[in-house]
Amino acid sequence: MEADTPRVEEYLESIYKLQQDQYPVSTSRLAEHLKLSAPSVSEMVKKLANRGLLSHTEKGVCLTEEGKSIAKKVIRRHRLSERLLTDVLGYRWDEVHDEACRLEHAISSEMEERISESLGNPRTCPHGHPIPDKDGVLVKENVKSLSELKASDRGIIVSVFEEDPRMLKYMASLGLIPDVCVRVEEVAPFGGPMIVCVSGSRYALGREVASRIKVK
Amino acid sequence: MPSCHGALKGIKGSTDYTFVLAGNPNVGKSSIFNRLTGMGVVTANYPGKTVELNMATTTFKGLRIGIIDLPGSYALGAVSEDQWVARRAVLDSKPDAAIMVLDSTNLARNLYMVLQFIDLGIPIVVALNLMDEAEKRNIIIDAPGLSELLGVPVVPTTATTGYGLDDLIQEAIDVVRDSQRIRYHLQYGTDIEANIKRLAELLSPYDFGIAGRALAILLLEEDAEFIELVEKHTNGRSLLEEVKKISKEIEEKHGEETPLRIARERHGLAGVIASQVQNDAAPVVSDKLWGYTTSPLTGIPLLICALGVIFAFLFYGGNWLSTLFSDLWAAYVSPVIDGAIFTIFGEGHIGKTLIWGFDAGILAALAVGIPYVLTFYFMLAFLEDTGYLNSVAFLTDRLMHRFGLHGRAIIPVVAGAGCNVPAIIGTRVLTTMRERTIASALITLIPCSARTAVILGAVSLFVGWKPAVAIYIIVLTLVFFVGVGLNRIMPGSSTGLVMEMFPFRAPIISNIIKKTWYRFKDFVFVAFPIVLAGSLVLGALYETGYLWRLSSPISPVVEGWLGLPAVAGLTLIFAVLRKELALQLLVTLAVVIYGGGADNLLLFMDKTQLFVYALVNTIYIPCVATIAVLGRELGWKRAGSIMAFTITLAILIGGFAYRFIEYFNLL
Repeated sequence: MEADTPRVEEYLESIYKLQQDQYPVSTSRLAEHLKLSAPSVSEMVKKLANRGLLSHTEKGVCLTEEGKSIAKKVIRRHRLSERLLTDVLGYRWDEVHDEACRLEHAISSEMEERISESLGNPRTCPHGHPIPDKDGVLVKENVKSLSELKASDRGIIVSVFEEDPRMLKYMASLGLIPDVCVRVEEVAPFGGPMIVCVSGSRYALGREVASRIKVK
Repeated sequence: MPSCHGALKGIKGSTDYTFVLAGNPNVGKSSIFNRLTGMGVVTANYPGKTVELNMATTTFKGLRIGIIDLPGSYALGAVSEDQWVARRAVLDSKPDAAIMVLDSTNLARNLYMVLQFIDLGIPIVVALNLMDEAEKRNIIIDAPGLSELLGVPVVPTTATTGYGLDDLIQEAIDVVRDSQRIRYHLQYGTDIEANIKRLAELLSPYDFGIAGRALAILLLEEDAEFIELVEKHTNGRSLLEEVKKISKEIEEKHGEETPLRIARERHGLAGVIASQVQNDAAPVVSDKLWGYTTSPLTGIPLLICALGVIFAFLFYGGNWLSTLFSDLWAAYVSPVIDGAIFTIFGEGHIGKTLIWGFDAGILAALAVGIPYVLTFYFMLAFLEDTGYLNSVAFLTDRLMHRFGLHGRAIIPVVAGAGCNVPAIIGTRVLTTMRERTIASALITLIPCSARTAVILGAVSLFVGWKPAVAIYIIVLTLVFFVGVGLNRIMPGSSTGLVMEMFPFRAPIISNIIKKTWYRFKDFVFVAFPIVLAGSLVLGALYETGYLWRLSSPISPVVEGWLGLPAVAGLTLIFAVLRKELALQLLVTLAVVIYGGGADNLLLFMDKTQLFVYALVNTIYIPCVATIAVLGRELGWKRAGSIMAFTITLAILIGGFAYRFIEYFNLL
């Protein structure tokens, strides 16, 4: 296998992260995330598909197993680098992301293991995200969208509409705020809305609304 | 409709006391309003807002009391239209007191807004409403205890029977007369309170027309409207800098944003108060039964039945009433009006034109208004009051989402098949102008009962039932693609469904009748003048013979493109008055031109022509009453665009259908 360029790794890492929210990932979303133009992204997506790292359908792209394992390796190196920067070099945790973006592509497998060992095999990055182990096994981050819950599931809200302050306030006035317990009462089929119970009130939430509420 | 500023001033000037009636949606607030006031309700709105304010005056023990019914909302804020209107009206009307109507079965959530009113420093009286429902659920609330905790009078009420309402008004008057009765002493967390106090002191030298503590909280909540207000002040920027500093301190201490922290404190306080004054109640079986309306397996068949009943009621019931009405009108009213007009104005052009307006025009408005609009409003009010409307919205959300709408749009869209007019007014359940425009555009395309009459009378009768069904299929396909298309091209995105689900409540007939009447009154005032004016213009064109000259400019389109006789094109213009008029006129004209016996339309037009004719009549420009309502509800610019769009669409589709049928020799 030819060595992966930083650009390839960057793509796979982004797709992997975006897959957590949206599956498959649309190319426009990917372009937005990478801050690149749509045509250059679709060209690259074709190349990656030819190499068997992802599959490309009308709706968007999904990583293949091989693509996923590379992505997880990059994420492991990124998060280990962040640990190294904060724990050993004394960086603040809000400064490390960009440095780690450069480091993640330069670290060899050998070096990766040594960093991990010398840091005592940390399980999370300084931001609290889990670090995949060397076989790519990711301790599942237990946060998911409210929309993934099934009828009669319960969860505790972690975050609500992070990027839309108006909606966040509206939800707050209804009592949908972090640390509050929700119970799903009914889920309409085919991606329809769901009914949730929050402190004695019942609300119907559209699926896209529910997908932006994170619970654990 | 009067503007809010004028109407609020009017009601303050003419009464001894003014109270606002506030509360969450569906807590029985409008029942209380209806109980307290009579029929003389004034409806007003703020420019550009669709949420309305109702206000009325009443007499209580010789005192004149003005009551302003705020829109039901979960909070006072600037994030949604109902909240904005509620808060604006409170700040503009400066009421003597606010009557907060609470749902006793859901105390904690309802107390949130009570706390917001307390934060605004407005004297309040609490109505613990739905006491009967609470009893059924074994919920016992300690009203004196709640009164003690909140520092305001609390009155248990049951609006449906009128229980407790006199005490409520008496308490509200007493609160105004003796301000000692209000003892606000509720506190948020110590450090939040300290920060609020610090900020209030900084703000104290300035007058922003609102109490210092209230403004301090609003600024910490990052309320866009009040930040703007302060910013305009000469020292505004430095004040806002201070707000930011304090807000940052709170954020660092609590690890979450200040507005969220305040919301949490308020919910927390509301929850603590609620738990102190009520017992733990066991859930009641009736909620489970109501669950069948939202569970997909049982809910969808139920929904199909319900929509079928609505449609059948509007279609058969409405048609029956409409025919009855037209017959009675023709037999008794029309001769009187015609006689009077001919006696006064003679039988010349003027007399005949006036008959178009005052006989045919008024009939047109009434024959749509009473049978279709009134019955639809009645059914809508019934569905709303039982809470079933929300279940419907829940089940259809997914489909409506493809059109950039959400579940609440389904009822108006289906109602469009009965009559477009109430359907378009019904889009008020949607919150954004984008949603209302898309829904209204789709509704104008849905064949209403009048257009169905043309499809049945022209196509089904002379061409066959299969082509008649084909017209429906074509139109529904168009509705689908137009919906998906509009959702793509219109700027913005759909808001998504966030809606409270209510337990089933037995509807109260008197409430439904009042609701129906208020809405119908609105329709009468909007539609009548425009239908009248439209009829007069059309009448004048017809009686002076100018109309016939119109047939040559439209003939390239009508004859050349659509393949119809030019005279048929004229009847399409007339159909603007009432859609089924197209067919009636077509038959009349056929008789005029080809002599008696031509009421068999096939002597006059071939099958393809009849098909194209009915198709074009179904799609192009809705009737004048619909146009009037579109203009009023969406503004004339949007109404004009919808009209232009439907005309273009009708001509395009009609022309293609004509060529398609001829080419494949389908009919």
